[in-house]
Amino acid sequence: MSGSAQTQFVFGRRWQAQSSFAVAISLVVVFSLVPAVGIVVISLTDIRSLPFLPVHWIGFANYKTFFGSAQLAYNVHALKNTLVFAAAVTLFQNVIALFIAILLNQKLRGRNFARAVVFMPTILGVTVIGLIFTLLFNPTGGPGASIWKAFGASSAFFGDPHLAMTLVIGVQVWAGIGVAVVIYLAGLQAIPSELYEVASIDGASSSQKMRHVTYPLLAPSVTANTLLCIIGALQSYQLIYVLTGPINPATQVLSLAIFTQGFGGAQGGAALSQGYAAAISIVQFVIVMIVALAALTYLKRKETQL
Amino acid sequence: MSFLDITTPVGSKNPAGPASPARGGSTADPNSRRPITPGKVVLYVLMVVVVLMYLYPLLFLVSTALKSNNDFVTNPTGVVTHPKLGNFATAWQKGNFGSYVLNSVLYTFVAAGLGTAISLAVGFPVSRGYLKHTKIWNGLFAAMLFLPNTLVTVFQLALRLHLYDTRLGYILIMASGVGVGPLLVSGYVKSIPKELDEAAALDGISYLRYLFTFLPALLKPVLSTVFILQAIGVWNDIILATILLPDQSKSPVTLGLFAFKGTYTSEWSLLAAATLIVAAPLLVVYVFLQRFLVASVVGGAVKG
Repeated sequence: MSGSAQTQFVFGRRWQAQSSFAVAISLVVVFSLVPAVGIVVISLTDIRSLPFLPVHWIGFANYKTFFGSAQLAYNVHALKNTLVFAAAVTLFQNVIALFIAILLNQKLRGRNFARAVVFMPTILGVTVIGLIFTLLFNPTGGPGASIWKAFGASSAFFGDPHLAMTLVIGVQVWAGIGVAVVIYLAGLQAIPSELYEVASIDGASSSQKMRHVTYPLLAPSVTANTLLCIIGALQSYQLIYVLTGPINPATQVLSLAIFTQGFGGAQGGAALSQGYAAAISIVQFVIVMIVALAALTYLKRKETQL
Repeated sequence: MSFLDITTPVGSKNPAGPASPARGGSTADPNSRRPITPGKVVLYVLMVVVVLMYLYPLLFLVSTALKSNNDFVTNPTGVVTHPKLGNFATAWQKGNFGSYVLNSVLYTFVAAGLGTAISLAVGFPVSRGYLKHTKIWNGLFAAMLFLPNTLVTVFQLALRLHLYDTRLGYILIMASGVGVGPLLVSGYVKSIPKELDEAAALDGISYLRYLFTFLPALLKPVLSTVFILQAIGVWNDIILATILLPDQSKSPVTLGLFAFKGTYTSEWSLLAAATLIVAAPLLVVYVFLQRFLVASVVGGAVKG
């Protein structure tokens, strides 16, 4: 009964295990893995959103278009926005989350409530969060407008090309901090309290304990959070879509370009095929992979140095 | 996942700030406690600031939803003086939220339920080594965590399988996005002794019956984590619904809310009421399942 690579199967006939596995795995393969691999294939075609149009192999033409002069300015702009968005979100989210985690790790009354409140946006989802902030930064009147008014200014907020990106970054950080805080809290609580006692006996000040005990031992959490954040932020666009719409140039990021090129919304959206959108997917995937690997290598090296 | 149990006070010393030897005791007895130091006051102030950063937007939403539109225009930031519940009824009716909520409930429960069953059916036998090529399957589970943006191919697949603009298609696609599910299940199964399988088999219980009636009870913690992770994803999805379900009568509540925003752009109090209609069930669920939800989401994220 037992195969060489398998353990003894105890339930008699195998077909029940094999068939239930086959049904489940084929759903995953058909609807998750085939699309993932298929992106590479259709990025080499001129496939369109209408099913009755003929599909042609066009080689690397979509990639040439992406890096070609007609689209380059737009794509470089989207890439720049993507990197600015990801860098800013990663930096602010991690730094603020670390401060909040250290704060909420103190013996304070109501800290459990505070932790729960900070985590709440994770459950609310992008649409609700997007509408709440649209309301807060409503140009005709609201808390945002009042603050601006106090300085004698007014703003279109999400409609202001100079401000939209900053606001979107702020909302993304607000929404994402909860998960980062919980990961940092788990890291903080895993640090043995004896280390702080020993440091106290040696006469270490609070800041010295922070520098020589907390920070080195928290390094794995920093790595986890930074990577999660980089990968998430480089691919994220749902919140941007809800806050500023699909075609706002000020907040155009690569993933949003996939959406607008593939499903309209882009100016002259019909001009380019979904194959082109697939090519953007691949370019983005490669960028995410390179950045994530580089960040991982750098952070791991830092960890061992501490 | 016990290390994520953040709501349990852990006996670790404070990494920074003044030490507080006072323990337990809910009564503020000045003799048994150290006097409140200035450092402590600063910490409390900071905590209140953090809490307000998160509660203020929600409170503003509630206050706005209770105002008439005129109230909002004349005094947008003030607290509501004459709360009116009329906005909720109007928003519910005009926004057709009844049918959107039903759609979302259907998609969320069926897709997350099916997804959890998939994670169980693939995670368990692979973890036990009941199938050939264990390594390949494990590699596949890991690869599923890092995939390119598949919007275009998912759309084409749905179109060509005649699943475009069908509830079935949307549910199948959402269900098969199992993400970290199989890995979580297969990790947890290792803590279940194999003798249980053998005992069940000796009693003449078939594999399928064991998988779907006995294991769910044994794997309850991990299966609920998997279900919740996927349910949050499905309930909050807006992009795939936009692409795959053009027919408004099939829209989930996220899409309904987004469309509502497009229609009633300047009726802010109505919009706030609509947003609250969508947010309220989530907030209620969160209040009751908060500890569990936090552990689930973070457990899934770290594993991923």
